Amino acid sequence: MKQNKIGSIGCILLLAVWAALTFGAWFASPEAVSESERRPLAQLPAFDFKKPGEFIGKFEEYTLDQFPLRDSFRRLKSLFHYHVLNQKDNNDIYLVNGYAAKMEYPLNTASVNRALGKFRNIYETCLKGNCENIVFAVVPDKGYYLAQPNGYLSMDYDALFSMVQGLEWAKYVDLTELLRPEDYYRTDTHWRQEKLLPVAQALLAALGREVGQGSYTPVNLERPFYGVYYGQAALPMEPETMTILTSQVLESCIVTNLETGKESGVYDMDKLESPDLYDVYLSGAVSLMTIEHPNAPEEKELIVFRDSFGSSLVPLLAESYSKITLVDIRYVSSQMLDKFLTFDGQDVLFLYSTLILNNSATLK
Amino acid sequence: MLFSSVTFLYYFLPAVMGLYFLAPRGWKNAVLLLASLLFYGWGEPRLLWLMVFTIALFYLCGLAIGTAQSRKWKKFWLLVSIVVSVGLLGLFKYADFFISSMNALTGLGLPLLHLALPVGISFYTFQSLSYTIDVYRGAVPPQKNPISFGAYVALFPQLIAGPIVRYVDVARELDSRSHSWEDAMAGIRRFLVGLGKKVILADNFALLVELFRQSGEKSVVFAWMYAIAFTLNIYFDFSGYSDMAIGLGRVLGFHFPENFNYPYLSRSATEFWRRWHMTLGGWFRDYIYIPMGGNRVSRGRWIVNILTVWMLTGLWHGAAWNFVLWGLVFAVLLLAEKSLPGLQKLPDGLRWLYTMLAVVFSFVLFNADSISQAGRDMANLLGLGGLPLLTDAAVYYLKSYALLFVVGFVGATPLPARLGRRISETRLGSILQWAFFAGVLLVCTAYLVDGSFSPFLYFRF
Repeated sequence: MKQNKIGSIGCILLLAVWAALTFGAWFASPEAVSESERRPLAQLPAFDFKKPGEFIGKFEEYTLDQFPLRDSFRRLKSLFHYHVLNQKDNNDIYLVNGYAAKMEYPLNTASVNRALGKFRNIYETCLKGNCENIVFAVVPDKGYYLAQPNGYLSMDYDALFSMVQGLEWAKYVDLTELLRPEDYYRTDTHWRQEKLLPVAQALLAALGREVGQGSYTPVNLERPFYGVYYGQAALPMEPETMTILTSQVLESCIVTNLETGKESGVYDMDKLESPDLYDVYLSGAVSLMTIEHPNAPEEKELIVFRDSFGSSLVPLLAESYSKITLVDIRYVSSQMLDKFLTFDGQDVLFLYSTLILNNSATLK
Repeated sequence: MLFSSVTFLYYFLPAVMGLYFLAPRGWKNAVLLLASLLFYGWGEPRLLWLMVFTIALFYLCGLAIGTAQSRKWKKFWLLVSIVVSVGLLGLFKYADFFISSMNALTGLGLPLLHLALPVGISFYTFQSLSYTIDVYRGAVPPQKNPISFGAYVALFPQLIAGPIVRYVDVARELDSRSHSWEDAMAGIRRFLVGLGKKVILADNFALLVELFRQSGEKSVVFAWMYAIAFTLNIYFDFSGYSDMAIGLGRVLGFHFPENFNYPYLSRSATEFWRRWHMTLGGWFRDYIYIPMGGNRVSRGRWIVNILTVWMLTGLWHGAAWNFVLWGLVFAVLLLAEKSLPGLQKLPDGLRWLYTMLAVVFSFVLFNADSISQAGRDMANLLGLGGLPLLTDAAVYYLKSYALLFVVGFVGATPLPARLGRRISETRLGSILQWAFFAGVLLVCTAYLVDGSFSPFLYFRF
């Protein structure tokens, strides 16, 4: 009898938890955005008698997005998945020594060839005969260092690098030996700017420019940095400190967004409140921009075709050029570049990560 | 609407349970009917008319059979219910299958209808047929209250994926049922067991199945992992749904029949079908096989009966030739087992191994998109598909899923239920079990919140 009573209390407590979550689901104020996932959250849709199915689909999304303690539940799922079911990854995100990385698998040779085809086309239509000094470098993603030694699946990096090493129109620079896992953020895809001086020096050397001494002052940003994997992994990871490297040269540089004409500094402090703190570097995703160095000792320009990894690296090249033009062909068509830019004797750097090469559908 | 969805668990179910238990006794079936129509309409708003039509058809035919004075008229109304409902099932589920088969056979270019498949149509059509057939046989009087009858046909706990509840099994409870705290507690426990099976086990095995399908690095070992993962996926998916349905029914005062009895312990195909989807097997036995003469006929006719019933069983699962072949494979196994009594004398372990191999291969056929893909999948299992024995992908997923496979193997036996019962017999255990079930609810909620939409496999049937 007493046992039944205890069981009843247990059942009532369970129902109380269920009821509390139900109450929260029905009556909690909806959130506008998920900071951890960096996306807007679905809002309660209006019912449309003509399209009831559409309402139902949107309502299902709303219930998932606005569920009470959503981040805590996502964290619970991750912890259960990793530590109880002993799964090696959660939604393709894995953890090694506190570093979160995404399984980028398998190698998509068609995608790499597509990217190389785009670059080749840029060379043929814009650079050939105009720009002779062309360097090509690939940024290895974290998985290059973490996946294979720890038993995780990864793309066939050797095959990828052999595909890009043989380009006859550009000089290839191998960056793999210059980086280690510690040179990347633990919670993000990107590399840390303060660790990139060897990379910058190697690229400048390949471009035939004088390699400076790198007299930069590191400045830590106050706002904690939660990288993209922090939200995706939904694990209790510590936030990181983002560091920017400043110098007199960089402070004198003028950055112009060619889309909007807006001028700013190399580090865009307006982006300190952006969902992605990495946008502080050169204002984040911009199709065309220039960095002008007014006190440059000589007039020499560089054009960089790049993805987001370039945002933190390119400022470290600014000292050696009077003007750097950054082109991101994810946001501007590669076939229309000659309408916006003049190609005339500049040095050229193609700097793309393995992640973009393996998922090149975004390149226009 | 899916049981394993936030919408069901935290919106629909609490609201319906609240209204149901607040409603006076005479209104409870009306609450159930309205809730069930909302549940059905949530997934298929444009096909709600079909559910209302089915209720009306069987209600009127049942009344007509019950009040008809002559055998001839009783038979007429029975035939009306069968022809119209099976006709609708054929139209919505099988029309395109027959048209495409006809086109392939004759070279005609008949256009396909591309009709949307109403959710759960196979389940509620078979349930409703059991009603008019049993009324015709005099096994049960017709239901005079249209609300109660509508609540039976559309009853949301088992509306879309079973178990197939015959009217005769719940006729008394439809008119008068009692509710108790003990039943409610048992029902909640059973529901959460099913939810855990579906969300934690079935959906994770489904992920591995999908990973294999998408992988460009297949191997023999990976093919076996796929086959075993799908075998566990379909069991935990379907039996989990049945557990949830039985549990919800218990809370609402109904006692639905069991649908699974640890089928992966079977030592023959015959035993497997006594343990797997028992309500479907029972339906075909009582309404098709026995009326055809069962095994009390000549040997030749008996073989025809077996082949017919199993072909229909296969076809019931899906409108494609691999389902038909799947049913016929079991027919052949059953005939072989009946014709070779020496099989029964083999050691238990050997019989279990033979049965499980047959079941795993049958589910590979079941899950294939076509007969040719099934052939390729089976060749891969046998090492005849030109695949390497092992790849990095197989090693990785084997390591990642090792524990889940162990949990799946143990979970398919009575051990967890026995352990649960033993623990709950103690005072500490009786509270611990509820802590465990609260954990199941929270973890399942966590998976649902994190995950994407994951429909039940049996929805398509």
